[in-house]
Amino acid sequence: MISSFPPGLIMIIGALLIPFLPHIIRQIYMMVLILVSAYALTLGFGLHYKIEIMDIQFIIFQSDALTLPFAIIFHIAAILNVIYGAHEKDWNQHVAIMSYSGAAIAAVHAGDLLTLFVWWEATAFTSVFLILASKTQRSYKSAFRYILIQVGSGMFLLAGAILLISETGNAEFKTFDINSLYGQLIFIAFGIKAAFPLLNGWLQDSYPEASEIGTVALSTFTTKLAIFCFAKSFAGTEILIIIGAIMTFYPIFFAVIENDLRRVLTYSLNNQLGFMIVAIGIGTELAINGAVAHAFAHILYKGLLFMGMGAVLYRVGTCKASELGGLFKFMPITAICTIIGAISISAFPLFSGFVAKSLIMSALGKEGLVFVYFMLLFASAGVLHHSGIKIPFFAFFAHESGIKTKEAPLNMIIAMIIASALCILIGVFPSYFYEVLPHQIQYQPYDFSHVVGQLQLLTFAAFAFICLWHFKIYPPELNSTVLNSDWIYRKMIPGILLPLLGLISDINKKIEQFIVFIFISIKRFFSDTMIKNKVFDREVGQDTLIVVQLFIILLIFIFVWKIYL
Amino acid sequence: MKYLIEKFGKINTSVLFLCIIFLILELIGHRYGETSIEDILFFPAFFGYLSCIIIFKLGVSLRSFLMKDEDYYDK
Repeated sequence: MISSFPPGLIMIIGALLIPFLPHIIRQIYMMVLILVSAYALTLGFGLHYKIEIMDIQFIIFQSDALTLPFAIIFHIAAILNVIYGAHEKDWNQHVAIMSYSGAAIAAVHAGDLLTLFVWWEATAFTSVFLILASKTQRSYKSAFRYILIQVGSGMFLLAGAILLISETGNAEFKTFDINSLYGQLIFIAFGIKAAFPLLNGWLQDSYPEASEIGTVALSTFTTKLAIFCFAKSFAGTEILIIIGAIMTFYPIFFAVIENDLRRVLTYSLNNQLGFMIVAIGIGTELAINGAVAHAFAHILYKGLLFMGMGAVLYRVGTCKASELGGLFKFMPITAICTIIGAISISAFPLFSGFVAKSLIMSALGKEGLVFVYFMLLFASAGVLHHSGIKIPFFAFFAHESGIKTKEAPLNMIIAMIIASALCILIGVFPSYFYEVLPHQIQYQPYDFSHVVGQLQLLTFAAFAFICLWHFKIYPPELNSTVLNSDWIYRKMIPGILLPLLGLISDINKKIEQFIVFIFISIKRFFSDTMIKNKVFDREVGQDTLIVVQLFIILLIFIFVWKIYL
Repeated sequence: MKYLIEKFGKINTSVLFLCIIFLILELIGHRYGETSIEDILFFPAFFGYLSCIIIFKLGVSLRSFLMKDEDYYDK
């Protein structure tokens, strides 16, 4: 009975009880909710639950080889989030995280676009509270922009779904043709959530404004849900290779100059999404496995990096590279876990990033996409630069910031240690990890060429950074704002639109004044000619009035004669 | 060795030695890449080093027009 209950749904319904529970019981209750939700995964593949409303079928719970790895990692991430946020006594964030995770898990199991739309919007409305939880003016504004964009993405999805129903009679969530209009609308909806180039501004704008536990949750679900949707509906769509390659490429430069380390991680997130999008665009079994493996591993190591920076933010109150440094001696466990996350994302052998990224690179090599291959190889060196070195180096080493603090709370440490252990286990035992992936393939990431090639690439990239830093070529981090695509709607459009609106308003006023002037002139004319000592003047004699009346009668007579005769 | 550690620091020297070890490894075994260009001797090492420098140079050059005051959006 419990197993046939749609996964995720129990977490959303159960979240309603969270405000009424005392702190410790609440944490245990949330863990139980996640485990009950995960129990539904034992039901196996197939269509498990659907309902029909007004002749429309809503497929609430269906599972296959693609949903399983996403469902597993979403449940693991939900558990890690509960542990990581256990120190937080405010129930608001726990309700938000629980329902947000539940909505994402439910979305993965949706079998039609209308059900997906419901959960798609639910992820937006629940996650926005994690940004608001920072309770700063910046976070309020950012949350407003975030919800507008997320809901906007949902509108594209809904429009696509309606068109699909009108054309085919159903809204089954399946492979879509990019050449159809509904396919394009759905593609844009997914693209917004996957933070495509120029649609990515919301990611760097909102995630770093969220609370320390909120950012960890945010980094897990929204974008990876979009990756799942692309893998399900647009696998093999070639344009994704180009989009993905651009996504891996440009965020690296932004990450290099960004000062806020959590924002650096969002650029890094964008870059990692690019690897997955490229793999989905290739669309072969090896590539799809690579995309899913990368999403799986990425949730763990990116979550771990956000946890590390969240712990720093919680203890120190800032995540700015220019203000941090030398925290290793105060937060050694946090530092070590962050370094493990950094090594994993850099794809060092024996860590999760290596066994996931190798699949994508091999898929690219097999398909002969040499140019894209080298773009991704270049991006790999960039990942090492901004996530592998910059994050741990500027937070825990670099220079002595003078900040004195203490280690992260125990619950944060436990969550970070579990995530670190998973990053290493996946890297050391890739065969078990590969068994979870959608396609059963034979792949061996640990051969001499792979390992030596990757180690050379990474150590020499690290050595280049060392040289730049040691010889003082690397410039100091500065308190600043780095312009991103959100500049378009935050500065450029208001910059053009507001003066334009002012101009329209001025023209409107002028026209209004002109019309008023015309009316006043006419009024004055009639007043001067007809009233003031003229025909309607009281002083005028009776004979004048008779002449006027006769003239009017004559006019009426001519009018009637013209019409009827 | 002592001079190198003094001048360059322990960690930096360790990384340098690792670099040398991985280069030697390539001479011992046969490394091949996913593409034929990668088969060039020490290609990943050159590529990694140059990529990092290019990323740094381009990133820093972007500072002049992408970097604004911290309160840029609040003005």
